[in-house]
Amino acid sequence: MSLWDPILLTLKLAGLTTLILLVISMPIAWWLANTRARIRPAIEALTALPLVLPPTVLGFYLLILMSPESTLGGAWVRVTGEALTFSFSGLVIASIFYSLPFAVQPLQTAFQSVGQGMMEAAATLGASRWDAFRTIALPLSRRGVLTAAVLSFAHTMGEFGVVLMVGGNIPGRTRVISIEIYSAVETLDYATAHWLSGGLLVFSFAVLSIVYLMNQRGMRTGV
Amino acid sequence: MSEGLSFDIAARFSGFALEARADIPATGITALSGPSGSGKTTLLRAIAGLEPAAERSVTFAGEDWTGRPPVARGVGYVFQDARLFPHLTVAQNLDFGARRRGASKTDVEAVIDALDLSALLPRSPERLSGGEARRVALGRALACRPRILLMDEPLTGLDRARKADLMPWIARAVAGFGVPALYVTHSRNEIGFLADRTLGIEEGRLTGWSGAAPQLLGQVVAAASGTVEIALGPHRVQVPGRGVVGETWAIPLGDAYVISTRPPGDSNAALTLEATLADAGAPDGCCRIDIAGQQVDVPWTRPGGVAAAPGTALWLTLVRVSGRLAQRA
Repeated sequence: MSLWDPILLTLKLAGLTTLILLVISMPIAWWLANTRARIRPAIEALTALPLVLPPTVLGFYLLILMSPESTLGGAWVRVTGEALTFSFSGLVIASIFYSLPFAVQPLQTAFQSVGQGMMEAAATLGASRWDAFRTIALPLSRRGVLTAAVLSFAHTMGEFGVVLMVGGNIPGRTRVISIEIYSAVETLDYATAHWLSGGLLVFSFAVLSIVYLMNQRGMRTGV
Repeated sequence: MSEGLSFDIAARFSGFALEARADIPATGITALSGPSGSGKTTLLRAIAGLEPAAERSVTFAGEDWTGRPPVARGVGYVFQDARLFPHLTVAQNLDFGARRRGASKTDVEAVIDALDLSALLPRSPERLSGGEARRVALGRALACRPRILLMDEPLTGLDRARKADLMPWIARAVAGFGVPALYVTHSRNEIGFLADRTLGIEEGRLTGWSGAAPQLLGQVVAAASGTVEIALGPHRVQVPGRGVVGETWAIPLGDAYVISTRPPGDSNAALTLEATLADAGAPDGCCRIDIAGQQVDVPWTRPGGVAAAPGTALWLTLVRVSGRLAQRA
């Protein structure tokens, strides 16, 4: 098996997860940024749970949720003919839960900094709520959107515990970079472990540098 | 049914209740004046549809706006802090409302011309001075062809000189476009210069109406860049501003004036006008004086408490003089 297989699989997983996460996180972050509902702290805590939960705990519950015996897992089997557990689709769903706070929190902060004032100004100028969100809130939050995308992607690239619990270690299907490193170390293949670990290290450093650089530029330009 | 703006607003916050009901004429500038925390801004926001829970009823020219979102009302709102969109240029800010409200390019150009915004169009709002940003905010509200302009202390935070620069622009915009305006302020200076009438508010209750501050009307006889010459009977008065020959301008007397029964002699005052006393016992402790055929009621403390006889020659001395385009009939 080529060294590229886990790399490509990881990139595919991270890319797909990031896209889906951005779509799902925007309404959640918008709601959290603007609501005064009493339930808000509970929802905030729920979305932040993956930050503090051991990945094995999250993975365990996701495994139960997605097993063919559960309602969700059973429905998935009936519709697609295959189980969610130990599949790429299952990995995507697990990654969405696992990386949710990394998308929601930067978006929520960005939306909060736009403030209601700008939305009110847009409303008095004839913009509907959706129009004002699209033309005012979203462009003004572009740094938050980029940060959310970059962090979600990078976090998904490096996930291990949840992937192992939900996807196992199936070459070409669920064996992502972190699992490949684990397998390489177990079999004393340190050369492969070095290549992949070093690559992930450089990638993570580059991604974080880009995020901080964007933040610095944003601060300079004031947007 | 009222031709202007009618509202019945009630709002309750912790420790504060607002109850306000009034009919506002659909001409000129109506000042809504009261101390900080009296409910002025809440009232204005409710009229714009930004406080839906506070509305009992809001109608404009017989059209029921109650419960309508801001997007479905014909208001132009100028916020205290300008609230220009920082990711758009000045031109794009002006176009934002104009496009959504179906205003034409000509409408936007008229606003750009009236407020002298051409040089600012390519700039980012972050590169505007405080006064320029307020001028753009006013232009943005006007460019969407509002049926009524709601202005929430649009000069707050500017120094006296910037305010004096901006007030004629506001007057010119309101008069020139024929849009009635509700203008929230607690500044006597702004009321004196801009307001055609004033509605008072205190602790969430409307306290009543008062008329325009004393002012003289004259015709523009010459206009050069930045200066307008106004004829007041035999007198010629120069004021800063942009005008067109033939326009009617108002010269508010403000509160920095002196009335004397003897010629004032040489002084640094901006303007001295000859007048005669028409009525020493006008209402509200005022006296009515005649200046170049115009009668104005002004508060005047008589020297030694002795009332002068009608026909007595007087001199009205203004420390500062400024003018604005008067509301077109």
